[in-house]
Amino acid sequence: MTLETSANILVVDDEMGIREACKRALAVEGYAVDTAEDGNQGLQKIKGKAYDLILMDLMMPGIGGLDLIKKTNDLDPEIIVVVITGYATIETAVEATKRGAYDYLPKPFTPETLTALVKRGLDKRELRLEAQRLHHEREQRLLELAGEKSRIRTIIGCMGDGVLVINLERRLVLWNASAVKMLKLAGTDECGASLDRYVKNSSLIESVENILASREGAVSMVSRELEIEEPKSVLMASLAPVRDEHGDLLGAVAVLRDITKLKEIDKIKSQFVSMVAHELRAPLAAIEGWLDVVISGETGGDKDLERRWLQRAKERSASLLAMVSDLLEINKIEAGKVAQKMEPVRLDQIVRRTVDFLRPEADRRKISFAIDLADDLPPVPADLRDMEKLFTNLISNAVKYNVDNGSVTVSGSVDENYVGIHIRDTGIGIAAEDLPRIFEDFFRVESKDTSQISGTGLGLTIAKKIVDSHFGRIEVESQPNRGSTFSVYLPYLKPKRTGVKAES
Amino acid sequence: MEPKGKILLVDDDQDFLEMHKAVLKNHGYEVITATNGREGLERVRAEMPDLIILDLMMEKHDAGFSFTKQIKTDPLFKAIPILMVTSVAEATGYRFSLQEDGYWMKTDDFLDKPVMPEVLVGRVEKLLAEKRG
Repeated sequence: MTLETSANILVVDDEMGIREACKRALAVEGYAVDTAEDGNQGLQKIKGKAYDLILMDLMMPGIGGLDLIKKTNDLDPEIIVVVITGYATIETAVEATKRGAYDYLPKPFTPETLTALVKRGLDKRELRLEAQRLHHEREQRLLELAGEKSRIRTIIGCMGDGVLVINLERRLVLWNASAVKMLKLAGTDECGASLDRYVKNSSLIESVENILASREGAVSMVSRELEIEEPKSVLMASLAPVRDEHGDLLGAVAVLRDITKLKEIDKIKSQFVSMVAHELRAPLAAIEGWLDVVISGETGGDKDLERRWLQRAKERSASLLAMVSDLLEINKIEAGKVAQKMEPVRLDQIVRRTVDFLRPEADRRKISFAIDLADDLPPVPADLRDMEKLFTNLISNAVKYNVDNGSVTVSGSVDENYVGIHIRDTGIGIAAEDLPRIFEDFFRVESKDTSQISGTGLGLTIAKKIVDSHFGRIEVESQPNRGSTFSVYLPYLKPKRTGVKAES
Repeated sequence: MEPKGKILLVDDDQDFLEMHKAVLKNHGYEVITATNGREGLERVRAEMPDLIILDLMMEKHDAGFSFTKQIKTDPLFKAIPILMVTSVAEATGYRFSLQEDGYWMKTDDFLDKPVMPEVLVGRVEKLLAEKRG
């Protein structure tokens, strides 16, 4: 319904002449006009249709005009009511306008007077509707604003990063649970508490001061690491000024991120790099040393000695190559944690193949093998190459660190969830104080028994990484001079659940 | 020919022991060896070398320090020059920590592995000449 096209007008009057005269005069102007002959009928029509303007007689049978004004106002306070009255006295007019009538029209009236008054009334109606719409709009905006505010509060409250907002008076005006936890802001219950009452970290306070002291357009953002004593952690704080639309400084916002774990990983990584550099430099220095003595003529032309020294350089370079291969292997396992090609693998077959491969070396030192593995060990979901590497490392260790005429026994076990493979040797064993360190990168037991055994110090690191990446575990028992037993436990496929058929 | 002096090599790397031994013997020195600090101290006590060539990074990383400390605080042995060699790329770092510990001043020279044969022999001759005054 728009007023421009056709306003709806109702004429309520018990005199048919008045009704018809009004209807005619208004229809000419293009208004849609209904009529009612008394108050009751009028009220029914008002209830059934949205009218813009009502012309009504004050003196009617049934519901009187004054009552009808009130009832109309109750239905729609913006309806324009114009009173037609034969008693054009000040009192009735005042009474009617008190009750909510817009104006009155004394009888008799000319069509021009009527249409002029109706037009004025309809303009008023339009203004009232416009005012109502604006009011609604404003209400809606306020509601949205309130919703937005609470939404933002909820989002900030749920953030994993800590948020603090500080105003120019150095008072906390907004913060979230993460910030409370990270900075241990005990008792932050009220808005507007002063910053230094809660925040004890001096570098954070200093950073806030820097931001608050910044001139317009100067410091836009500051990031710094904060060492927190309690709880012991490292936070990355990003601070920025809060400005209003004119660019005037209102305060500072700090976003805190707990980077303790990242720092730890970073440290481990750089330690690893430094360790690798040391481990690579030692053999390289030896290789260069041997080449130096040969090139400098220290052999005095002794061809045999020269060959022996070059041979020593070659041995170190072979060990260097093995170490680089192992490092690449570790890198591959770590990178491919998820991307391994898992297939059902029969460990007994892997063990037998590995033993066959190592047998010539064992034979040279008269070391015997005993394999005690049932054929019906359940297959494990595993990467075939990883399994080959794992058992090659473990069984070749059992040979390498064995004594001449010793033995290597490989046995199996099955429990509810894991297949166990146990590799027992009769070798030099591992001292109790060394046991916790044997899976560390580059760790090698240093003793006169091991000094002649070559190794990169990464074999067990790789073994453990492979087992870990297959959700298994590796255990070791050892007695010096008696031997060691390495046990690998890997989760196996349950035929009922997975439906994987065992290979023949 | 009478040896030019008795040199103790302390190094846990068999290759460096052998190569330094070969070079020094070629240049007329008597060479004795040890593969760790404890063994090194035994050889010092038993054989009273004229000079010690020490690998800083033997097995445990502070073994070179404690060895140096024991030699340089012992009135019988403190006059023996110690030439440090290391296979780690942290020569600078260790120089500083040695200075802080006060023992860098007491070790007599410092070289990074690998050491060219002529450099090794040159340093040894220089240190022995200084010792003789």
